[in-house]
Amino acid sequence: MIRFRAASVVYPGGTRGLDNVDLSIEPGEFVVVVGLSGAGKSTLIRTINGLIPLTSGELSVNEHSVPDLNRRQLRDLRGDIGMIFQGFNLVDRSTVVNNVLMGRLAKVPAWRALLGRFPEHDLAVAAAALDRVGMLDRAHQRSTDLSGGQRQRVGIARALAQEPQVILADEPVASLDPPTSHQIMQHLQRINRELGITTIVNLHFLDLAVTYAQRIVGLREGTIVFDGPGSECTAEVFEGIYGRSLTADDTLTDEAPLP
Amino acid sequence: MSSPAVVSAPSIPRGPRVGRFIVWGIVGVIGLTIVTAITVEFSFLDIFRNLTRRNLVLDGLLSPDIGQLWSERSLSAFVETLQLAILGTATGGLVALPLSIWATDYGNPYVWLRNMVRIFNAVVRSIPDLLWALIFVTAVGIGVLPGLLALFFFSIAVVSKLTADTLDSVDRQPIEAALAAGAPTISMVHTAVVPQILPAYTSFLLYGFELNLRASAVLGLVGAGGIGARIEFFRGRGEWSEVWGIVLMFFLVVFLVERLSVSLRRRLV
Repeated sequence: MIRFRAASVVYPGGTRGLDNVDLSIEPGEFVVVVGLSGAGKSTLIRTINGLIPLTSGELSVNEHSVPDLNRRQLRDLRGDIGMIFQGFNLVDRSTVVNNVLMGRLAKVPAWRALLGRFPEHDLAVAAAALDRVGMLDRAHQRSTDLSGGQRQRVGIARALAQEPQVILADEPVASLDPPTSHQIMQHLQRINRELGITTIVNLHFLDLAVTYAQRIVGLREGTIVFDGPGSECTAEVFEGIYGRSLTADDTLTDEAPLP
Repeated sequence: MSSPAVVSAPSIPRGPRVGRFIVWGIVGVIGLTIVTAITVEFSFLDIFRNLTRRNLVLDGLLSPDIGQLWSERSLSAFVETLQLAILGTATGGLVALPLSIWATDYGNPYVWLRNMVRIFNAVVRSIPDLLWALIFVTAVGIGVLPGLLALFFFSIAVVSKLTADTLDSVDRQPIEAALAAGAPTISMVHTAVVPQILPAYTSFLLYGFELNLRASAVLGLVGAGGIGARIEFFRGRGEWSEVWGIVLMFFLVVFLVERLSVSLRRRLV
């Protein structure tokens, strides 16, 4: 359960990342956040795991008030929230399995991580995560040897290795081609349905949003301007979110069917 | 027939003018060089005259005592120098890694500790190798120990400086990922940062070893052990053939070690 109440983020310099946001997300939901770049999508997602602190308002995640957590408690909370990035954020020189084991670091004592002696249980969790995205046979390859889609699957496996209650995905397909984008979105959807992990995805391709979202949240200049099921999201609604008429750049495929 | 072109051929637009700062900087450097050359009475003629005048030192160079290559005492002094260089690099280089990591913004969450480490690193870096040797010869007396301590601190200075530059240009994305996964700082650095800098760091260790090997020749001059002590011994007695014999030997060793180190480093990066 994630609940924002009158939450705002003002960056040094006066830019408003979030402006008085009220939002509740129930366990197991699959929410897609849409909006132009600069509308506050990344800010919204990063406040949930405390990477960006609120400047005012309230935010609770799993009954923890995020602004009140000390460093240790924040680490524990982050351990329960997986994150997937636009740029994959893998350690290129490390192997796939070492990247996935990064997802266990919140639960494994630092000395064990330093010596590379992960407990059997954690190795098993990492293996299961890799298997779920079909990358187990690549475990010992270097991440640099993988394609973009494969690297994002490793990114998903790293998040899954946390055994998280929430997965945050910040523009997970923005650096991928259309077929691979669908593949990644299908992985996220399946994980959400089979494991019941609350999933929040930032997207700027509207057809992808409509195809995969259970619920769409529209952000514009840091405020929520739409919140409803994907089926209600018509081209007019999107034009309201974007504040302009839609172009071919707003969809992944050129003749995307919007409701 | 087409009419004559109205549009002129494209030409690269004029770039920004060379800044005044750069112009005056160059003028300043040239001026400073001339002024200093005059004040130290620099003259190629004098150098030539002095070098071609007969003297004992150069006579020794013409007949170096190759026997030093076999002399037991010179050999053991050499072994001592190598041991000093290896031990100094290994210990100092090892300490340099955490010191340079603790000086970064991501590797150390405590601002006051970060600043203390930065000040410590700056002080260590500002002291040259020979001064370290003098300090420790004064502190613990003549012998191998002051040489080792000098090379220990000198290695910290060199390796931590070079590693710090690499740490500055590290890819921050994996750091964000590790922090988002709730990793403690040590685990984050180990998994997200160390793999990125490890090849460069190993190369810096080898480079530090090269520097230490050369430095250890000089350290002996102030009483800090190794082959330098042997050079100083012969120099004091005016036995220049022996001095040059050792220098020749030293040149060979340094040359071989550097070749080895360079080829190793090339394989790393």
